Amino acid sequence: MRRFIAAFMGLFALPALAAEGERITVTGEIIDTWCYYSGVMGGPDSVVGSAHHTCALWCSAAGIPIGLLAEDGTVYTILKLGAQDNATGGDTALRLASHTVTADGMFYARDGINYIIVEEVLEDFGIVNLTHEDYDVVPSFAIPEPKE
Amino acid sequence: MIRLAAAFALLAAPQFATVAFAQDFSTNSEARSWNLYAEVPALFEGKIIDVMCELTGDCPANCGDGERQLAILRSADDQIVMALKNNQAVFSGAVVDLLPYCGQTVTLDGLMIADKDFPIRNSYQVQRIKAADAEWATANQFTKVWAAENPDAKGKGPWFRRDPRINALIAADGYLGLGLEVDEAFKKYLFE
Repeated sequence: MRRFIAAFMGLFALPALAAEGERITVTGEIIDTWCYYSGVMGGPDSVVGSAHHTCALWCSAAGIPIGLLAEDGTVYTILKLGAQDNATGGDTALRLASHTVTADGMFYARDGINYIIVEEVLEDFGIVNLTHEDYDVVPSFAIPEPKE
Repeated sequence: MIRLAAAFALLAAPQFATVAFAQDFSTNSEARSWNLYAEVPALFEGKIIDVMCELTGDCPANCGDGERQLAILRSADDQIVMALKNNQAVFSGAVVDLLPYCGQTVTLDGLMIADKDFPIRNSYQVQRIKAADAEWATANQFTKVWAAENPDAKGKGPWFRRDPRINALIAADGYLGLGLEVDEAFKKYLFE
Protein backbone atom coordinates (compact mmCIF):
# COMPACT_ATOMS: atom_id res chain seq x y z
CA MET A 1 0.00 0.00 0.00
CA ARG A 2 2.79 2.44 0.94
CA ARG A 3 4.49 1.66 -2.39
CA PHE A 4 1.21 2.39 -4.21
CA ILE A 5 0.82 5.79 -2.53
CA ALA A 6 4.50 6.59 -3.03
CA ALA A 7 4.18 5.82 -6.73
CA PHE A 8 1.29 8.27 -7.09
CA MET A 9 3.08 10.93 -5.05
CA GLY A 10 6.08 10.47 -7.33
CA LEU A 11 3.87 11.14 -10.35
CA PHE A 12 2.60 14.36 -8.72
CA ALA A 13 6.20 15.46 -8.21
CA LEU A 14 7.15 15.22 -11.91
CA PRO A 15 6.87 18.92 -12.85
CA ALA A 16 9.01 20.00 -9.90
CA LEU A 17 11.73 17.53 -10.82
CA ALA A 18 11.69 18.72 -14.43
CA ALA A 19 12.54 22.25 -13.32
CA GLU A 20 15.71 21.29 -11.48
CA GLY A 21 18.86 22.49 -13.19
CA GLU A 22 21.65 20.42 -14.66
CA ARG A 23 25.10 21.66 -15.66
CA ILE A 24 25.72 21.19 -19.38
CA THR A 25 28.14 22.23 -22.11
CA VAL A 26 26.53 22.77 -25.51
CA THR A 27 27.83 23.79 -28.91
CA GLY A 28 25.40 25.55 -31.21
CA GLU A 29 24.39 28.70 -33.03
CA ILE A 30 22.87 31.70 -31.29
CA ILE A 31 19.57 32.27 -33.10
CA ASP A 32 16.48 34.45 -33.05
CA THR A 33 13.72 32.26 -31.62
CA TRP A 34 10.73 34.10 -33.10
CA CYS A 35 11.83 33.82 -36.72
CA TYR A 36 12.97 30.23 -36.16
CA TYR A 37 9.72 29.07 -34.56
CA SER A 38 7.12 31.18 -36.36
CA GLY A 39 8.23 30.73 -39.95
CA VAL A 40 7.46 34.42 -40.50
CA MET A 41 10.52 34.84 -42.74
CA GLY A 42 10.67 31.35 -44.22
CA GLY A 43 11.75 27.85 -43.25
CA PRO A 44 14.06 27.19 -40.32
CA ASP A 45 17.16 26.70 -42.47
CA SER A 46 16.78 30.18 -43.96
CA VAL A 47 16.52 32.09 -40.67
CA VAL A 48 19.87 31.12 -39.23
CA GLY A 49 23.46 31.94 -40.13
CA SER A 50 24.80 34.72 -42.32
CA ALA A 51 21.63 35.18 -44.45
CA HIS A 52 19.66 36.14 -41.37
CA HIS A 53 22.40 37.90 -39.41
CA THR A 54 21.06 41.45 -39.74
CA CYS A 55 17.55 40.34 -38.78
CA ALA A 56 19.02 38.47 -35.80
CA LEU A 57 20.61 41.75 -34.67
CA TRP A 58 17.29 43.58 -35.01
CA CYS A 59 15.34 40.94 -33.09
CA SER A 60 17.89 40.60 -30.31
CA ALA A 61 18.18 44.36 -29.83
CA ALA A 62 14.39 44.58 -29.63
CA GLY A 63 14.06 41.98 -26.90
CA ILE A 64 13.00 38.84 -28.72
CA PRO A 65 14.46 35.88 -26.81
CA ILE A 66 17.59 34.38 -28.32
CA GLY A 67 18.18 30.64 -28.44
CA LEU A 68 21.06 28.24 -28.73
CA LEU A 69 20.42 25.85 -31.63
CA ALA A 70 22.49 22.78 -30.79
CA GLU A 71 23.99 20.47 -33.36
CA ASP A 72 21.28 17.84 -32.62
CA GLY A 73 18.48 20.34 -33.39
CA THR A 74 17.57 21.09 -29.78
CA VAL A 75 16.81 24.76 -29.11
CA TYR A 76 17.68 26.16 -25.70
CA THR A 77 16.11 29.51 -24.83
CA ILE A 78 18.97 31.59 -23.39
CA LEU A 79 17.94 33.39 -20.21
CA LYS A 80 21.39 34.73 -19.31
CA LEU A 81 24.57 35.07 -21.32
CA GLY A 82 27.74 35.27 -19.30
CA ALA A 83 28.02 38.22 -16.99
CA GLN A 84 24.96 39.97 -18.39
CA ASP A 85 21.71 39.28 -16.59
CA ASN A 86 19.81 40.14 -19.74
CA ALA A 87 20.70 37.64 -22.44
CA THR A 88 18.50 39.32 -24.98
CA GLY A 89 19.26 42.84 -26.08
CA GLY A 90 22.53 42.96 -24.18
CA ASP A 91 25.81 43.85 -25.89
CA THR A 92 27.12 40.28 -25.59
CA ALA A 93 24.03 38.87 -27.27
CA LEU A 94 24.37 41.35 -30.12
CA ARG A 95 28.08 40.63 -30.56
CA LEU A 96 27.40 36.87 -30.68
CA ALA A 97 24.31 36.95 -32.93
CA SER A 98 24.50 34.12 -35.49
CA HIS A 99 27.82 32.93 -34.02
CA THR A 100 28.42 29.29 -33.23
CA VAL A 101 29.65 29.00 -29.66
CA THR A 102 30.39 26.43 -27.03
CA ALA A 103 28.55 27.46 -23.89
CA ASP A 104 28.67 26.17 -20.35
CA GLY A 105 25.70 26.70 -18.11
CA MET A 106 22.68 25.43 -16.25
CA PHE A 107 19.98 23.61 -18.20
CA TYR A 108 16.31 23.63 -17.22
CA ALA A 109 13.32 22.06 -18.95
CA ARG A 110 9.74 22.92 -18.21
CA ASP A 111 6.45 22.62 -20.07
CA GLY A 112 8.12 21.59 -23.30
CA ILE A 113 10.68 24.41 -23.42
CA ASN A 114 14.42 23.99 -22.85
CA TYR A 115 16.28 26.83 -21.14
CA ILE A 116 19.95 27.54 -20.56
CA ILE A 117 21.51 30.05 -18.20
CA VAL A 118 24.95 30.47 -19.77
CA GLU A 119 27.64 31.00 -17.17
CA GLU A 120 30.49 31.20 -19.68
CA VAL A 121 31.02 31.13 -23.42
CA LEU A 122 33.96 28.76 -23.64
CA GLU A 123 34.65 29.24 -27.35
CA ASP A 124 33.36 31.54 -30.07
CA PHE A 125 33.72 30.10 -33.58
CA GLY A 126 32.24 33.17 -35.25
CA ILE A 127 29.63 32.90 -38.02
CA VAL A 128 30.26 29.55 -39.68
CA ASN A 129 26.77 28.87 -41.05
CA LEU A 130 27.07 30.55 -44.46
CA THR A 131 23.40 30.46 -45.36
CA HIS A 132 23.65 33.52 -47.65
CA GLU A 133 25.15 31.16 -50.23
CA ASP A 134 21.75 29.40 -50.46
CA TYR A 135 19.23 32.02 -49.35
CA ASP A 136 20.88 35.37 -50.17
CA VAL A 137 19.53 37.58 -47.39
CA VAL A 138 16.46 37.04 -45.19
CA PRO A 139 14.37 39.17 -45.15
CA SER A 140 15.20 40.42 -48.61
CA PHE A 141 15.21 44.08 -47.50
CA ALA A 142 17.75 43.52 -44.72
CA ILE A 143 20.49 44.99 -46.91
CA PRO A 144 19.28 48.31 -48.30
CA GLU A 145 19.78 48.73 -52.00
CA PRO A 146 22.48 51.35 -52.70
CA LYS A 147 21.08 54.67 -53.89
CA GLU A 148 22.04 55.74 -57.42
CA MET B 1 -8.07 -0.41 -2.46
CA ILE B 2 -10.05 0.10 -5.68
CA ARG B 3 -11.75 3.19 -4.20
CA LEU B 4 -8.35 4.59 -3.17
CA ALA B 5 -6.92 3.98 -6.64
CA ALA B 6 -9.94 5.68 -8.24
CA ALA B 7 -9.59 8.70 -5.95
CA PHE B 8 -5.91 9.11 -6.85
CA ALA B 9 -6.69 8.67 -10.53
CA LEU B 10 -9.30 11.45 -10.35
CA LEU B 11 -6.87 13.73 -8.55
CA ALA B 12 -4.14 13.00 -11.06
CA ALA B 13 -6.25 13.26 -14.21
CA PRO B 14 -6.26 17.05 -14.79
CA GLN B 15 -2.51 17.23 -14.34
CA PHE B 16 -1.84 14.52 -16.90
CA ALA B 17 -4.40 15.97 -19.26
CA THR B 18 -2.36 19.17 -19.43
CA VAL B 19 0.83 17.25 -20.05
CA ALA B 20 -0.54 14.92 -22.67
CA PHE B 21 -2.91 17.16 -24.62
CA ALA B 22 -2.69 20.76 -25.75
CA GLN B 23 -5.73 22.68 -24.58
CA ASP B 24 -7.78 24.86 -26.88
CA PHE B 25 -7.57 28.50 -25.79
CA SER B 26 -9.04 29.96 -28.98
CA THR B 27 -12.57 30.56 -27.60
CA ASN B 28 -13.37 34.32 -27.57
CA SER B 29 -9.95 35.21 -28.97
CA GLU B 30 -9.96 38.19 -31.34
CA ALA B 31 -6.31 37.78 -32.29
CA ARG B 32 -5.42 39.04 -35.74
CA SER B 33 -3.87 36.51 -38.08
CA TRP B 34 -0.24 37.03 -39.10
CA ASN B 35 -0.55 34.25 -41.67
CA LEU B 36 1.98 32.15 -39.80
CA TYR B 37 1.96 28.48 -40.75
CA ALA B 38 1.41 27.23 -37.20
CA GLU B 39 -0.49 30.07 -35.55
CA VAL B 40 -3.43 29.36 -33.26
CA PRO B 41 -5.46 32.18 -31.65
CA ALA B 42 -5.18 31.98 -27.87
CA LEU B 43 -6.89 33.99 -25.15
CA PHE B 44 -6.10 33.02 -21.58
CA GLU B 45 -5.45 34.29 -18.07
CA GLY B 46 -2.08 34.11 -16.38
CA LYS B 47 0.47 35.71 -14.10
CA ILE B 48 3.32 37.73 -15.62
CA ILE B 49 6.59 36.21 -14.40
CA ASP B 50 10.35 36.54 -14.71
CA VAL B 51 11.28 33.16 -16.21
CA MET B 52 14.70 32.93 -14.57
CA CYS B 53 13.12 33.69 -11.20
CA GLU B 54 10.49 31.00 -11.74
CA LEU B 55 13.11 28.38 -12.62
CA THR B 56 15.94 29.23 -10.24
CA GLY B 57 14.49 31.24 -7.34
CA ASP B 58 16.81 34.17 -8.19
CA CYS B 59 14.23 36.94 -8.15
CA PRO B 60 15.19 40.62 -8.46
CA ALA B 61 12.56 43.29 -7.83
CA ASN B 62 9.99 44.09 -10.53
CA CYS B 63 10.82 41.05 -12.69
CA GLY B 64 14.32 42.43 -13.31
CA ASP B 65 13.10 45.86 -14.48
CA GLY B 66 13.30 44.89 -18.15
CA GLU B 67 16.61 43.06 -17.84
CA ARG B 68 15.01 39.60 -17.91
CA GLN B 69 12.83 37.59 -20.25
CA LEU B 70 9.19 37.55 -19.16
CA ALA B 71 6.55 34.90 -19.59
CA ILE B 72 3.04 34.02 -18.54
CA LEU B 73 2.28 31.40 -15.93
CA ARG B 74 -1.05 30.26 -17.37
CA SER B 75 -3.76 29.94 -14.74
CA ALA B 76 -5.60 27.06 -16.42
CA ASP B 77 -2.74 24.57 -16.31
CA ASP B 78 0.19 26.24 -14.47
CA GLN B 79 2.34 26.07 -17.61
CA ILE B 80 4.95 28.64 -18.59
CA VAL B 81 4.11 30.35 -21.88
CA MET B 82 7.09 32.21 -23.37
CA ALA B 83 6.25 35.65 -24.72
CA LEU B 84 8.43 35.85 -27.83
CA LYS B 85 6.83 38.72 -29.71
CA ASN B 86 4.61 41.75 -29.29
CA ASN B 87 2.03 43.09 -31.76
CA GLN B 88 4.33 45.36 -33.80
CA ALA B 89 5.75 44.26 -37.14
CA VAL B 90 9.15 45.73 -36.32
CA PHE B 91 11.13 42.73 -34.98
CA SER B 92 10.16 43.56 -31.39
CA GLY B 93 9.76 41.40 -28.31
CA ALA B 94 7.13 41.66 -25.59
CA VAL B 95 9.14 42.48 -22.46
CA VAL B 96 8.32 46.20 -22.46
CA ASP B 97 4.63 45.40 -22.92
CA LEU B 98 4.48 42.84 -20.10
CA LEU B 99 6.75 44.56 -17.57
CA PRO B 100 4.07 46.94 -16.20
CA TYR B 101 2.09 43.84 -15.21
CA CYS B 102 4.91 42.02 -13.39
CA GLY B 103 3.40 39.72 -10.76
CA GLN B 104 -0.17 40.54 -11.80
CA THR B 105 -2.70 38.11 -13.16
CA VAL B 106 -3.94 39.44 -16.48
CA THR B 107 -5.81 38.25 -19.56
CA LEU B 108 -3.87 38.03 -22.81
CA ASP B 109 -4.92 37.62 -26.41
CA GLY B 110 -2.60 36.65 -29.24
CA LEU B 111 -1.24 33.83 -31.33
CA MET B 112 0.23 30.60 -30.02
CA ILE B 113 2.77 28.95 -32.31
CA ALA B 114 2.04 25.25 -32.15
CA ASP B 115 3.48 22.54 -34.36
CA LYS B 116 3.57 18.97 -33.15
CA ASP B 117 6.13 18.09 -35.82
CA PHE B 118 8.58 20.81 -34.79
CA PRO B 119 9.97 21.33 -31.30
CA ILE B 120 7.70 24.25 -30.45
CA ARG B 121 5.51 24.50 -27.38
CA ASN B 122 4.06 27.37 -25.43
CA SER B 123 5.57 30.07 -27.66
CA TYR B 124 3.34 33.11 -27.93
CA GLN B 125 2.85 36.41 -29.72
CA VAL B 126 1.10 38.88 -27.39
CA GLN B 127 -1.34 41.16 -29.19
CA ARG B 128 -3.25 42.70 -26.27
CA ILE B 129 -3.35 42.63 -22.48
CA LYS B 130 -6.17 43.27 -20.04
CA ALA B 131 -5.63 43.85 -16.32
CA ALA B 132 -8.57 43.44 -13.95
CA ASP B 133 -11.20 46.07 -14.83
CA ALA B 134 -8.96 48.05 -17.19
CA GLU B 135 -9.51 48.31 -20.94
CA TRP B 136 -7.53 46.12 -23.31
CA ALA B 137 -4.06 47.52 -23.99
CA THR B 138 -2.43 46.79 -27.34
CA ALA B 139 1.05 45.29 -27.05
CA ASN B 140 2.79 47.94 -29.11
CA GLN B 141 5.03 49.80 -26.66
CA PHE B 142 8.45 48.83 -28.00
CA THR B 143 9.00 51.69 -30.42
CA LYS B 144 7.92 54.30 -27.86
CA VAL B 145 10.33 52.92 -25.29
CA TRP B 146 13.13 52.65 -27.88
CA ALA B 147 12.60 56.28 -28.94
CA ALA B 148 12.75 57.45 -25.33
CA GLU B 149 15.96 55.50 -24.76
CA ASN B 150 17.57 56.71 -27.99
CA PRO B 151 16.82 60.45 -28.21
CA ASP B 152 19.82 61.04 -30.48
CA ALA B 153 18.69 58.48 -33.04
CA LYS B 154 15.96 60.61 -34.54
CA GLY B 155 15.48 60.62 -38.27
CA LYS B 156 13.69 58.94 -41.11
CA GLY B 157 13.11 55.22 -41.35
CA PRO B 158 12.22 52.54 -38.83
CA TRP B 159 14.02 52.16 -35.52
CA PHE B 160 16.12 49.22 -36.73
CA ARG B 161 17.77 51.38 -39.39
CA ARG B 162 18.64 54.03 -36.78
CA ASP B 163 19.67 51.99 -33.76
CA PRO B 164 23.23 53.05 -32.81
CA ARG B 165 24.38 49.64 -31.54
CA ILE B 166 23.09 47.78 -34.60
CA ASN B 167 24.59 50.32 -36.97
CA ALA B 168 27.96 50.12 -35.22
CA LEU B 169 28.04 46.34 -35.59
CA ILE B 170 27.02 46.48 -39.26
CA ALA B 171 29.66 49.16 -39.89
CA ALA B 172 32.29 46.89 -38.36
CA ASP B 173 31.26 43.43 -39.60
CA GLY B 174 28.82 44.02 -42.46
CA TYR B 175 25.23 42.90 -42.95
CA LEU B 176 26.26 39.25 -43.15
CA GLY B 177 28.52 39.55 -40.12
CA LEU B 178 31.42 38.11 -42.11
CA GLY B 179 33.50 41.26 -42.54
CA LEU B 180 33.33 44.22 -44.88
CA GLU B 181 35.18 42.56 -47.75
CA VAL B 182 32.71 39.65 -47.95
CA ASP B 183 29.85 42.12 -47.56
CA GLU B 184 30.96 44.31 -50.47
CA ALA B 185 31.36 41.31 -52.78
CA PHE B 186 27.93 40.03 -51.78
CA LYS B 187 26.28 43.40 -52.34
CA LYS B 188 27.78 43.52 -55.84
CA TYR B 189 26.28 40.09 -56.55
CA LEU B 190 22.95 41.12 -55.03
CA PHE B 191 22.44 44.51 -56.64
CA GLU B 192 24.51 44.62 -59.84
